[in-house]
Amino acid sequence: MNTITKELMTTTVAVSELCVHVGSTQLMGPVSFAVAPGETLVVMGETGAGKSLIAQAILGTLPEQLHSSGVIEVNGERVDNVAAHIRAASWGRQIAALPQEPWRALSPLKRSARHVRETYRYVAQHADPESSCARVFEALGLVGAEERLPSELSGGMAQRVAFAAATAGGAPILLADEPTKGLDNDRRARVVELLSEVPRQGGTLIAITHEVAVARALGGKLIVLKDGQVVEQGDTLSILAAPGHAYTQELIAADPSSWPQTASATPGKVLLEACELSVVRAGQNLIEGLNLSLRQGERVALLGPSGVGKTSLLDTLAGLHAPARGSVKRADGLGPRAVQKLYQDPPTAFAQHVSLDVSLRDAARLNDTPWSELEDLLSRLAVPLSLLARRPDAVSGGELQRVALARALSARPSVLLADEPTSRLDPITQARTLEMLAQIADARRLGVVLVTHDAHIAERWAHRCVSLS
Amino acid sequence: MNTVTPEVMPDARQLPSIKASRIAGLALFGVLGCAAVIGPDLVGHDPATQSLLDARQGPSAEHLLGTDHLGRDMAARLLSGARLSMGLALLSILSAGVPGALLGVLAARSGGWTDRLLTAFADAVLALPGLLLVLMLAAISPGSWWALYVGISLTLWVEYFRYTRQRARVVFAAPQVEASRMLGLGPWLILRRHLIPEIGPGLLTIAAFGAATAVTAVAALGFVSVGIRPPQAEWGVMMTELLPY
Repeated sequence: MNTITKELMTTTVAVSELCVHVGSTQLMGPVSFAVAPGETLVVMGETGAGKSLIAQAILGTLPEQLHSSGVIEVNGERVDNVAAHIRAASWGRQIAALPQEPWRALSPLKRSARHVRETYRYVAQHADPESSCARVFEALGLVGAEERLPSELSGGMAQRVAFAAATAGGAPILLADEPTKGLDNDRRARVVELLSEVPRQGGTLIAITHEVAVARALGGKLIVLKDGQVVEQGDTLSILAAPGHAYTQELIAADPSSWPQTASATPGKVLLEACELSVVRAGQNLIEGLNLSLRQGERVALLGPSGVGKTSLLDTLAGLHAPARGSVKRADGLGPRAVQKLYQDPPTAFAQHVSLDVSLRDAARLNDTPWSELEDLLSRLAVPLSLLARRPDAVSGGELQRVALARALSARPSVLLADEPTSRLDPITQARTLEMLAQIADARRLGVVLVTHDAHIAERWAHRCVSLS
Repeated sequence: MNTVTPEVMPDARQLPSIKASRIAGLALFGVLGCAAVIGPDLVGHDPATQSLLDARQGPSAEHLLGTDHLGRDMAARLLSGARLSMGLALLSILSAGVPGALLGVLAARSGGWTDRLLTAFADAVLALPGLLLVLMLAAISPGSWWALYVGISLTLWVEYFRYTRQRARVVFAAPQVEASRMLGLGPWLILRRHLIPEIGPGLLTIAAFGAATAVTAVAALGFVSVGIRPPQAEWGVMMTELLPY
């Protein structure tokens, strides 16, 4: 064997000087790296930094208006100049992709086992797809979930079904794009464990994430991207231990586990009081016998895994959902608008077809808040006023959540109920948004209930934490 | 989601083409509207005046589209038929669309028994073939313009109702509406900000198809001599009259 073939055999994905352009504008790059069997590459950076473009360029699934330059080799063969339909033949067989938010990638009408069985039958062409499927379901702890529809699976289970379907074709290279997005800590740990099996069994893992904890757990090599530029590249653990670039430091500091602990508050009078509260929704007993009081200037975190009824509890506290038993008492003098809510997905919290300006002016007018006060508030929240001319879908999530905060404050609330307001934001934005929320809540002596599935956020950001399980 | 919203540049190539199609559509509609509104007067002939000596002439400077077997001017008859059909279509859009959409909003908002009763009624109307209902009403009062109009409106409102109810239920259940309610927006503002922009374009599409259905229904009934009667110039009636020639 000559040296060239030897070198080809030792890398599964090699990328050199990869750039992605739209028209003549460069979106991402240049990026160069090579990964070998049994190795892991983690690409880290905030959303919009161009992380997914790397995966799409390697797979050959870049959107039509984008094009890449540079050399991409998969298993020693150059693929960047090969037509898309030829590259498609390698999907699932040589290179597999685990999609973002897999519960959306699974067909809602197909039972979970069928997703996996079909890959075995049509991609891997196993003689006996039934038993291969049964084996993998057992290995992943999915026994009993075979005949369930994706809507009946929990987030973590859907993630595992998608993983099984993606890897059933026997591809040695796995691309995982934000594999832990929207999962709580527990499930995140399990997915990370699942992914680290890939290099352990001689495969190649390329994982894209914005979570420092995930990068640390996966190890291997690391590329940190900012605005499409590589700011740091090297060994994951040593970079995370001693980040050289200011952006990497910021990214690590934004991880909730390294936030400073909030000083304890001096709570004022009671604003909301839940007595022996039971919440039932859709015939399911979610919460039973909960006692909770919220005082002025106090930040309370509601912590619990997905599906435990956190949102329903919040709606009950807001008076939007009637309690099955028990009561929620508001302090005297708190009107119907004294309790306001922040939503998980900010674009869905605004009227879709009118500009933000109209929505905000409505809220200000109806609550007798002078517009200048709202403008002051927006500039304190670092929202440029020029953004208000846009519709909600044309504004980034972080900015929109701050606009939503300003809108809620225009009603001069005493209580703010926040339903995972930052779970869809990237870590730096999340840290900034929650910091602003804390500042404003302290300045106005608001009582805040924050629903979260991140124990670190609950522990460090709130004064008090209520665990639901 | 990005930390900072990127500046979105409007795609310069796409804007004119959207405008062009819009202008083309509006122009066609304008021509049709003008033809129906001022056309009959421009032609200068009465659509019902007979002149047996001029029967069955070909197109000429005097009669742009020639004359029929009774010597009536065809251009005048065609255009006054258009006026009748389009007038009826527009009226029935209003009388079907407005109550249909309002009842849809009512059903979606109140839910419960109101919703169930309204939906059951709409489904019952839907179960009857539309043309049959119009035919029945037209037969009760033959030749009457009103029977046609009421019949067509009665069959057409269901579409508006079902579409509005369906979309309004989704919109009313969305966090955006909950947020607006908590901020103190009243029902009218919620309709204006959330619902109307959402369902307006869809309702316009239904209206366009509804107008076409109404025109066809009037012509079909005229053709089988149930609807508008001669000597009124109506497209369906004209077809029956001229079928032998």
